[in-house]
Amino acid sequence: MATMTARTLMVDGHPVALDPEGYLVSLDDWSERVAEALAADEGRELTPDHWEVIWVLRDFYRRFETAPAMRPLVKAVKQALGEEKGNSIHLMRLFPDSPAKVGARLAGLPKPTNCL
Amino acid sequence: MTDVSISRPVPQDLLVVLRHPPHGTHWLREGLDVALVAAAFGQRVGLLFQGDGIYALLKGQQAGALGQKGTHSQLAMLEMYDIETLWVSARGLNERGLSTDDLMLPVVPLEASAVTELLQRHPHTLIF
Amino acid sequence: MMLHLLNRSPRSTATYQDLSEAFGSGDHLLLIEDACYAAQVSASAVLEPFGGRVSVLQEDLVSRGLAARIDPSVGVIDMNGFLALTETHERCVSWF
Repeated sequence: MATMTARTLMVDGHPVALDPEGYLVSLDDWSERVAEALAADEGRELTPDHWEVIWVLRDFYRRFETAPAMRPLVKAVKQALGEEKGNSIHLMRLFPDSPAKVGARLAGLPKPTNCL
Repeated sequence: MTDVSISRPVPQDLLVVLRHPPHGTHWLREGLDVALVAAAFGQRVGLLFQGDGIYALLKGQQAGALGQKGTHSQLAMLEMYDIETLWVSARGLNERGLSTDDLMLPVVPLEASAVTELLQRHPHTLIF
Repeated sequence: MMLHLLNRSPRSTATYQDLSEAFGSGDHLLLIEDACYAAQVSASAVLEPFGGRVSVLQEDLVSRGLAARIDPSVGVIDMNGFLALTETHERCVSWF
């Protein structure tokens, strides 16, 4: 399935194609620099707390080939980082609006499908 | 031979019956997607594997030709959605020469009468 | 009490087998579309597990030229009869 490129983000002089909802058109384009650029583009700043969740998201995708909805994301974060961080309040604070969608976007995953 | 559960199965909010094997059609994936969406919304979901749907659980599956995604990674993900109530038709297992050791997830085999009861006792059932 | 809808021809034995496993003593089976072929006298053995609690949808069997071939133990119902069945059964599931 070909994804439409809605716009291009320049990262270190290289064009990165984004779909209409801001997800990467080619998941292989992802790098830590790309994540930072995506965050800056949305007016967000990535702290170490954000990064550890981004790595949990990327690990989830590597294992299951799907971006998680909120519920499994909470569970995955809990398993990886403990009870204190594996809850929706912590994730909502890090990625306001929709942690599953925003997190997937910054982590270079496709849009979560089981999440309306 | 496979041990057959003697305890009564506990009904969930939704029962999804999976009857189609992986790769050939989209039915299995569709059924699993429905189960995952329901679970993402906090519903307790049980899965019943019946007929060729049992092959969905077979160990050692891979992506299909041309890199088409299989359903095994969806199955591995069930636990992350708290879908851990998996039943399988004991007759379907035996007919296919399989035992629970051949399957990638822990399942509870059910005799035919228990399968009947399972459908009777669930408030909502979707068959794929 | 469940109403089971079935739309596969009796050649799809796996579907009939899975359905028979799930079919309860108070349940009813309605044959629609290609499942009408199972209501013929010549095919009636595939309906044995359902204990005579079987109906077939009239418009689907008429369109298939089966009107004179139906086993007398299978009730023939029209759309109103279909509707009545959905009203008298708590739940409805489809087999395909």
